[in-house]
Amino acid sequence: MANYKEAPLATRPKTLDPAEYFNLSPDYRRAEEKRAALRAQLKRQYLEQLNNPHRKELIEDPALTRWTYARTNNNYFRPTAKTSLIGGLFGVLPLFVLYVVFKTDRDKREAKIKAGTYERPYKLST
Amino acid sequence: MRAVACQRGKMAALRAGLLTRALTKGNTPGIPNIILGTRAASGPSKDMLPGSYPRTPEETAAAAKKYNMTLEDYKPYPDDGMGYGDYPLLPERSQQERDPWYQWDHPDLRRNWGEPMHWDFDMYIRNRVDTSPSPVEWRTMRNQLLGFVGFMLLMFGLGEMFPCYQPVAPKQYPYSELYLERGGDPEKEPEPLKHYEI
Repeated sequence: MANYKEAPLATRPKTLDPAEYFNLSPDYRRAEEKRAALRAQLKRQYLEQLNNPHRKELIEDPALTRWTYARTNNNYFRPTAKTSLIGGLFGVLPLFVLYVVFKTDRDKREAKIKAGTYERPYKLST
Repeated sequence: MRAVACQRGKMAALRAGLLTRALTKGNTPGIPNIILGTRAASGPSKDMLPGSYPRTPEETAAAAKKYNMTLEDYKPYPDDGMGYGDYPLLPERSQQERDPWYQWDHPDLRRNWGEPMHWDFDMYIRNRVDTSPSPVEWRTMRNQLLGFVGFMLLMFGLGEMFPCYQPVAPKQYPYSELYLERGGDPEKEPEPLKHYEI
């Protein structure tokens, strides 16, 4: 496994990461152990619910609930300089810019039509 | 169906009760806060849901435990008012990059139950944005694409500004430019048109 070369369009799996083999510091190992313990606990909870023969309902995922709640409820939005700038740039400025652009374009076309110099671009009749 | 109706009834009663109590007390938090803040008790409790940005180490530890992450891994988004709260900042890697051979709990999403979801999880699913390595570097790809598209646009623009084609003249029709076919009066004589010069 020392000269493992990953597939061209894939990332290297974590278990074959060189850091896993050569990084033997106890801190790294302890952190990895903690992560593995968390993963194992979650896996156990899930499999207990999955293989429970008396279960009739769906298995609810609290991480999914939290994600949905965080994405849909913008409780922690705060008007700051950055957010006001973004809001103004994407929400307020286009209104004015588009108004100006459309108005000048249409006014020019109207003036041309009134003067009789407007040529219709997609005329179907001769 | 009955359970949903019961829940809605309870929600309405809860809202009405909170409304009257808040309005009769002194310092009301405001009608919008009351209406939007009520939540059925059948859902997760307040400490299981995302909260505000953690300020003290205890809050950070509690948030890390809530999201099933170790304390070293847990890192909230910077608090600049964009609305993330204490949601963890996870590495920007798509689900396509994860090991295809591991027995995930949800194999199509390549995710385990209870694992913290990235904020842009619905963008990083395997049908959408993919961050796996590409055969050529991104910079090279982008330069080649933009170079080609820009060159073609430039050439088409120049072609519009300076058209160059074989000389053409208006089409000439027989019978005095199809005088009768175009609705000309049969009694009258059409004036003759000469298309040549000697």
